Amino acid sequence: MRKLSRRDFLGMSIKTGAATMFAGMFAPTATSLMGLGGVAHASTKKITPFTFAVLTDAHLYDISDHKFDAILEKAVSDVNSIQPRPDFVLYGGDLGQSGKKEELVKGKRILDKLKMPYKIILGEHDYYLDMGKAWRGLFGDEHWSFDHKGTHIIGMNSILVNDFWSLRKLTPLERMGYMEELECHQCGLWGVQEKQLDWLEKDVKKLSPDMPILIMTHSPLWDYYPRWNFQTVDAPEIRQILRKFEKVMAIHGHVHQVVYNSIGNISSAGLLSTSWPWPYPPVDLPYPNIKMNRVDPGDFEDGLGSHKIDLSSNFDGVVNYRAFSDLLPDNVKRGIKL
Amino acid sequence: MKNIHEFATFKNASSAACAVVVLVAMGSVNAKTPPTSAELEDQKNMLMSAVKRGDDLWHSAKLGSNGLACGNCHPDGSATNPHTWPKYQSNLGKVGTLREMINWCISVPLVGTPLALDSDEMIAMEAYTMYTHRGVAIAPAKDEQHGGTPVVSGPGYPNAHGGNR
Repeated sequence: MRKLSRRDFLGMSIKTGAATMFAGMFAPTATSLMGLGGVAHASTKKITPFTFAVLTDAHLYDISDHKFDAILEKAVSDVNSIQPRPDFVLYGGDLGQSGKKEELVKGKRILDKLKMPYKIILGEHDYYLDMGKAWRGLFGDEHWSFDHKGTHIIGMNSILVNDFWSLRKLTPLERMGYMEELECHQCGLWGVQEKQLDWLEKDVKKLSPDMPILIMTHSPLWDYYPRWNFQTVDAPEIRQILRKFEKVMAIHGHVHQVVYNSIGNISSAGLLSTSWPWPYPPVDLPYPNIKMNRVDPGDFEDGLGSHKIDLSSNFDGVVNYRAFSDLLPDNVKRGIKL
Repeated sequence: MKNIHEFATFKNASSAACAVVVLVAMGSVNAKTPPTSAELEDQKNMLMSAVKRGDDLWHSAKLGSNGLACGNCHPDGSATNPHTWPKYQSNLGKVGTLREMINWCISVPLVGTPLALDSDEMIAMEAYTMYTHRGVAIAPAKDEQHGGTPVVSGPGYPNAHGGNR
């Protein structure tokens, strides 16, 4: 019944919500066109300013001395060198490539070199060999939340697809192989699914609307390019649950690129990987000036990087992309406002 | 060939028009029988089997030695811009072809052994990435547009399977 009532509510509110949503998506402000990011949603609640770092998409292989190991090591060193030291690090999923425990163990060994605590979420590459068993054994819950200096921070597993393997009688290795392809035509759209929506609803129920919210998912909480699962199928429900808040910041991995969007009260930023960059898909970017340059395939660090995010006392965020090569246009180099 | 050479020696329009008539008439004599729909279907199937083989290779780690496949960085053949080749490519250090660039990617990022340029495997790889760009206008040279957002065609190639190939 709860499920029905939420969906009904969404159905009714979509007419009013849509205007805000599409205004955010398709009508970039003058500020955003200068590359400064979206509409200001200054929260009335003051927080203690803080800095955190984000890494994502290492795609480690179970091959010793693989080049991606060294890039993740470099990213960890880079984050450790940031002064003043970030309070914590968030990791956005796809630590491994093929879901093998060995990949995740290697990744944890490298991430454990971080000099600050870190929280991590799942990507599809971590999950579909054993449905997250090894990952949960190493890192714990697939979704979580915590409060830090006045901000409520949420992490969720956004890569759950419906069962496409049982009818086809696929082995776990075959299932993982399907999911490893970005353009898998048989895997379907993914999302957080009903149980996590219920959890999210409960998690934020008692929070005041002026509570600053930061949410991290592997995939974007907006319809970017579904063919490559640059989307989260139940993002509209997530946005609905978070709609009561004055300001929500979202960050996501998976896209391996600089990308920005603003929908209603949610602004979101895509992050650089530490494995390989992805080209922009053949759709119009909602904020076309917030993008990275095309990469040089001969420079294995081009298109990769780490991130530092600064939050001010009135919950204005700035994403600093720390690209390992000369990748960013000047407007992005200055930082993207969240 | 002799007739075509003679055609080039005609000096005025009316003569040229006569020549066209002659050539068209000759064409009707010399032309092969048009392929039957069954033959056309066979030809298409042969192409699609090359595209499928290319798709398999594109997403296979077997071409390299470090686990990577072409598809890691180039889903749907994106950012290969097959319609812009030949062009000067700095990684090749010369004006090169799509096939040479495919071999560069196999050799350098994938740390594999290059394919023979006229091998069935190479033709299949080329068939796959060109098929994903069908309908895109041919535009050799790397201009500003191609230095920016790479092109991926709409439908791509609807393979019936996923990785581990």
